[in-house]
Amino acid sequence: MAEKKESKAKESEEIRIGVYVCHCGLNIAGSVDCEEVAKFAETLPHVVLAKDNRYTCSDQGQELIKNDIKEHELNRVVVASCSPRLHEPTFRKACEEAGLNRYLFEMANIREQCSWVHLYDRKAATEKAKDLVKMAVAKAALLQPAEEIEVPIVRKALVIGGGVAGIQAALDLADTGYKVYLVEKEPSIGGRMAQIDKTFPTMDCSICILAPKMSDVGHHPNIELLTNSEVLDVKGYIGNFHVKVLKKPRYVTDDCTACGECVEVCPVIAPNEFDVGLAIRHAIYTPFAQAVPSAYIIDMDLCLNKEKIIVCDKCLKACERQAINFEMKPETRKLEVGTVIVATGADVFDPSSLPKYRYGKHPNVITSLEFERLINAGGPSGGHLIRPSDMQIPKRVAFIQCVGSRSEKSGRLYCSNVCCMNTIKDSLLIKEHWPETEIYVFYIDIRAYGKGFEDLYIRARKEGVKFIRGLPAEVVEDRKTCNLWLIGENTLQKELYKVNVDMAILSIGLEPRKDSEIIQRLLTLSRTQDGFFMEAHPKLRPVDAATGGIFFAGCAEGPKDIKDSVTQASAAAARAGILMAKGKVTVEAITPIFHAEKCKACGLCVKVCPYNAITLNEELKRIEIIDAACGGCGTCAAECPFDALTQNHFTDEQIFAQINAVTEHNAEKKIVAFCCNWCAYAGADFAGVSRMQYPPNVRIIRTMCSGRVSPKFIERAFARGAAMVLVAGCYPGDCHYINANEDTQKRVERFWKKMEQNGLNEERLQLLWVSAAEGERFASKIREMQGILEKVAPEEIETAKTVFEKALGGV
Amino acid sequence: MPVRIWRTPLDIEKVKRPKAEIHIIKNQCKGCGFCIHFCPKEVLEESEEINERGVHPPRVVDESKCVLCSFCTSVCPDFAIFVVEKQCKDGC
Repeated sequence: MAEKKESKAKESEEIRIGVYVCHCGLNIAGSVDCEEVAKFAETLPHVVLAKDNRYTCSDQGQELIKNDIKEHELNRVVVASCSPRLHEPTFRKACEEAGLNRYLFEMANIREQCSWVHLYDRKAATEKAKDLVKMAVAKAALLQPAEEIEVPIVRKALVIGGGVAGIQAALDLADTGYKVYLVEKEPSIGGRMAQIDKTFPTMDCSICILAPKMSDVGHHPNIELLTNSEVLDVKGYIGNFHVKVLKKPRYVTDDCTACGECVEVCPVIAPNEFDVGLAIRHAIYTPFAQAVPSAYIIDMDLCLNKEKIIVCDKCLKACERQAINFEMKPETRKLEVGTVIVATGADVFDPSSLPKYRYGKHPNVITSLEFERLINAGGPSGGHLIRPSDMQIPKRVAFIQCVGSRSEKSGRLYCSNVCCMNTIKDSLLIKEHWPETEIYVFYIDIRAYGKGFEDLYIRARKEGVKFIRGLPAEVVEDRKTCNLWLIGENTLQKELYKVNVDMAILSIGLEPRKDSEIIQRLLTLSRTQDGFFMEAHPKLRPVDAATGGIFFAGCAEGPKDIKDSVTQASAAAARAGILMAKGKVTVEAITPIFHAEKCKACGLCVKVCPYNAITLNEELKRIEIIDAACGGCGTCAAECPFDALTQNHFTDEQIFAQINAVTEHNAEKKIVAFCCNWCAYAGADFAGVSRMQYPPNVRIIRTMCSGRVSPKFIERAFARGAAMVLVAGCYPGDCHYINANEDTQKRVERFWKKMEQNGLNEERLQLLWVSAAEGERFASKIREMQGILEKVAPEEIETAKTVFEKALGGV
Repeated sequence: MPVRIWRTPLDIEKVKRPKAEIHIIKNQCKGCGFCIHFCPKEVLEESEEINERGVHPPRVVDESKCVLCSFCTSVCPDFAIFVVEKQCKDGC
């Protein structure tokens, strides 16, 4: 209470702002005259002091702020440094420690969005930095203290995906004492690891080390295993997710003892997916011997029985325990969980899209996954490496690396991380069983970066495996023998090779799951350009999703080997565990501010709220807001035609003040950009991190969602003579506030119409969908807008000023 | 696991699949077509010939596709069709 009183008291006091301009070593000071910016800041209204220092985020830097707050009675703090996405929490904490409400702090991003993108134009960068500081100071003067509300966290977790990462995450959480739901799409858990024969670099038998873990999952009292199930729907927010899971029928009850009598009589067969089609299975089957749950399952696409007609009852008759039930129905389970771990894994590259390797045409060209099944003692050939054309043991084998990896033309641009070591391991496995085999490995680079990897590589070379740098350009089959000629260039010796082998193994890369989009949409996640899920911060929050309460484990986040998947899974479990151990989380105080007297109960806000956090009370003729359900997008505030709603920490007045600051001088040369925090602002930051240069006349105003951008903001920018306005947000479908950016699109389209009606050039208002990974897309948009800006005539700017003159009323 | 499946499974020869012998008593058939319609493997089709009762009896399209479920026998109202397992001699 005392604190509250204090902050109330401060409210009425005179506003005293302290500004700190950070050099960030040379990161900022290299292109921006920080001293000059600080001097300029001192001249701004309400600024009591302005200082520049080398590292504001250091302990000394923070101490300086804390001391100044006390000594100079500062009641607002502005730090001009890096992106608020990086250090806002740091400085907010420092302010709090000095007794200042965390919401009385504001940041100016003069690194990612200034010094790094204008490396070679010190003058323009310095001018821009001044503008950014001016905007921050203008907003800071209007900041209000706010208290964050606490949301309880349900102490249960959902793990999506039952590969080794999902298994590890589920076990760690369950062992900590939390209830875990493990959802797996396939009939058994185990994932890719179950298909692999041996693991590198220790050559452990893969299933031997995995099976005990799988069995632990099956028996753990805290784990509820939902196999043959899919996540249908996820609603809610951090700590309180409402999940719907579709449990598809197995048609075999828990009474199944896995005796296998049913399989003997089942008349229908098909290739077994687990063995990559190299072995058959029946319509009633178990994917592999160690499957968990060990119960059998009927593949209804294959079974003769359709739509209530029992045509074939052979398995029914064979099952002594009467565990087969064709009447089983799909079941929708509703789960309440506090945290979600996404461990959906990866797909493998399909090499038939690369015609040069003739996969699918020449029988003796196989993939590394097929190899794993062939060399596995429990596999279709009983562990005998045979070539498919004549079932003979090959005497000369070639491995072709980077199939589908490290090439934009043929497959994916990234390195798939596991294939080099997998090949080295495979080559040693062949040498172990058939030491006389000649082995060639065709590679671009061998990446043996991990612990014990180099040793294995050396061992393979000592064993006589020949490593040849340069991938084959062509694979030609000898029609008679089905042997293969690999033709290419040895790039180390600069000579052509033509190697004859009995079998070629394509080291195929990993790909994002084809159905990643579904999970992405359900959990409002982002993906990188590669298509894998994107972490909240690549260095410091590598397992967190940007959406609160969601974590990543395994290949869903990027290709990785078993060890890394397990490490990440344990990390994700620990991160989820932290939330659940606390039992509560504070929600940022960026909820709506409601002025009841202005509300006309029109219900527009109710319609646009993506979280159903606003309801209309028909009786009282007013709306009601559930703060805990609010996601903080602010689209309600943008929608309200009567100014009855605005958003805490992003109020109309604050944003107006920022616009005013941008347009005070040289407005006709400037681009006012509204960027959503998650994709557009992050994309602009990424452009900075990647040092992509773009014109310096853009000024970015951050909102949580592009849905917050009210037409009146755009009007004001134009009314004050801004040349161009950019509204940027996440791609449709990628919105971090479910679908709030759909409103953005509608509003911008409406605005274009309005511009057209008033004879204004619509090009002056641009809408950009950009992901957090698309720095170049953002930068090139600014370059493009600069081109348009140069053609905007002064008269046009004047016309816009008069058209939108009304927008200047009020503030 | 969406992996392209295209090879003939290596153990396809090892799986002992019973071979069927389909017997159709043509003149008993009244042409209801149940056997054709309900066969899960689409083994049967209507023939062009006309039997004593003046209808088209079924005809076997591909006997090797039959899995001996005998559902045709169950649904035939005229006891006009039955399937027996072919006794294997040398190599089948």
